Amino acid sequence: MKPGRIVLLSMATAITLSSQNLAANTLIQNKGSDTLVNVAQAWAETYPSVNPEVAVAVSGGGSGTGIAAMINGTVDIANASRQMKKKELKKAKESGQDPVEHVVGFDALAVFIHKDNPAKELSFNQLGKIFGRGGDFTKWSDLGLSVPGCGSDKIVVVSRQNNSGTYAYFKKAVLKSAAKAGIIVKGSFRQGTLDMHGSKDVVDLVEKTPCAIGYSGLAYATDHLKLVCISKNDGDSCISPSVTTASDRSYPIARPLFMYTNGKPVGAIKGYLDWIHSVAGQCILKNKGYAPVHDVTCP
Amino acid sequence: MDNTNVVDNQFLETKLNISAKRTETLFRILFMIMAALLILPVLIILTTLVVKGGSMLSWDFLFSDPVNGMTEGGIFPALLGTVWLVGVALIISVPVGVAAALYLSEYAPDNWFTRAINLAIINLAGVPSIVHALFGVGAFVIFFGFGTSILAASMTLAVMTLPVVIVATRESLQAVPQAFREACWNMGATRWQTIRRVILPNSVSGILTGVILEVSRTTGETAPIMFTGAAFFIPVLPESVFDQTMALSLHLFVVSTQVPHVPEALPYGVALVLIMMVLLMNSASIALRMHLRGKKKW
Repeated sequence: MKPGRIVLLSMATAITLSSQNLAANTLIQNKGSDTLVNVAQAWAETYPSVNPEVAVAVSGGGSGTGIAAMINGTVDIANASRQMKKKELKKAKESGQDPVEHVVGFDALAVFIHKDNPAKELSFNQLGKIFGRGGDFTKWSDLGLSVPGCGSDKIVVVSRQNNSGTYAYFKKAVLKSAAKAGIIVKGSFRQGTLDMHGSKDVVDLVEKTPCAIGYSGLAYATDHLKLVCISKNDGDSCISPSVTTASDRSYPIARPLFMYTNGKPVGAIKGYLDWIHSVAGQCILKNKGYAPVHDVTCP
Repeated sequence: MDNTNVVDNQFLETKLNISAKRTETLFRILFMIMAALLILPVLIILTTLVVKGGSMLSWDFLFSDPVNGMTEGGIFPALLGTVWLVGVALIISVPVGVAAALYLSEYAPDNWFTRAINLAIINLAGVPSIVHALFGVGAFVIFFGFGTSILAASMTLAVMTLPVVIVATRESLQAVPQAFREACWNMGATRWQTIRRVILPNSVSGILTGVILEVSRTTGETAPIMFTGAAFFIPVLPESVFDQTMALSLHLFVVSTQVPHVPEALPYGVALVLIMMVLLMNSASIALRMHLRGKKKW
């Protein structure tokens, strides 16, 4: 056979196959938050055993990526670890989308330090001084600490890229609160933070850097890190991040995790979201280190 | 007077000779070390991958699905996805690239239009892959409405690798002696007859080189497919060019930076498979090329 004909044949085959396939299977496009991406993946991995007719394609990229995809209509479900902003909702409406919000779980936003760091607890105000623009704490000795292995004494502040929902939530919950208390001037991050592209990168960096402090979803915590006990007000007793303290909302930086659909979900998408909210779906989420939306007893 | 001494002295090395010789040796060794250094990264990469990821390799790893949050199981969907992406990209870019090269080499007069095309090729080759990726999103995913699919990703890859194919093909076409063409024309052959019967058969080994280069580059690319067709995870295998797929390069990125609690050997295993795929395809194509070259009569 001549090469040209092989090309034509394969194209024809591809097109024939595709037309059959579109009718047979439903594919749900699911994109967004890096915090949610691993639990979204676990859901997608299990769902075929619940409903073999429906397949879910999962992509990461950050809450901003998911929301942008929802606005331009290229996803069925957008994952976000923050709420959509008014501006984004308006933009979505303008392009003919109608984002509907679903809370699928809760996440404790943990603050990590190196294992050798003697710090135990930090308040919102202290976190504001460390992470916020114009904050007083630039050295560990400013907190009265001497950190073994951190010769420079300088606090290495590890943050996230600015389209991250984790970044946005930390800014809103901690820095805005510190700014309101007058600890820092503006509720924004200080300059010179190391902005990592993913929660796992934050964890990896803090594990290796004695001077570092960083934050990300609790699910990313490892045994090689220390989780800081957090108090909302100076003098309050602090609460350690865990699935339990996130579930009963006693941990001060626990945040809801969202999935957005275009309009009220119907058909396969409704089936998938219902299953996510069921005991089976919520147990998968809980096993990944997130807090379920309702009390579940998991095997 | 002893004459022999004078004669001998003429052939003795002067200080100048000796220092020139020394410099010569010095530079030869220096250049040799530099050349040898080229092998070093390849060796280090391969050894590291084999040592750290070799234990992962098994039929099971290659041909089963990832399980347990992609921390266990195999890489089959990603492997198959890469084959799809590369295959479709080749189907698109090789005919277009070879046709363009044929025009430029065999038909094009030297005028502003040809020069503009050449300039475009050079510039296209210089565009960073992430820019191609964003172009792919705008053009293929949204404007042409292919959605995030193998088709959109492969077209992005094809656009990105077209310059490689065109330049390699054009060069191998031009390596065919001009006398061959003139002989054909004198026999009354048309340009197409000349191309079909003489030029293409004699330049196919060079064209294959272009294709080899494209395959290697396409297999490893991550940015252009990340937004256009490759998914973090998808529980079904692609069945057509309109499906999304997992891909080996993106899977490597994902397991090494996105998924927590991944066993250390897993990313190395994925990287090893990726590299082996490229090496395997390259060697196959090189073997084919040598075989065809052996048939050449000039």
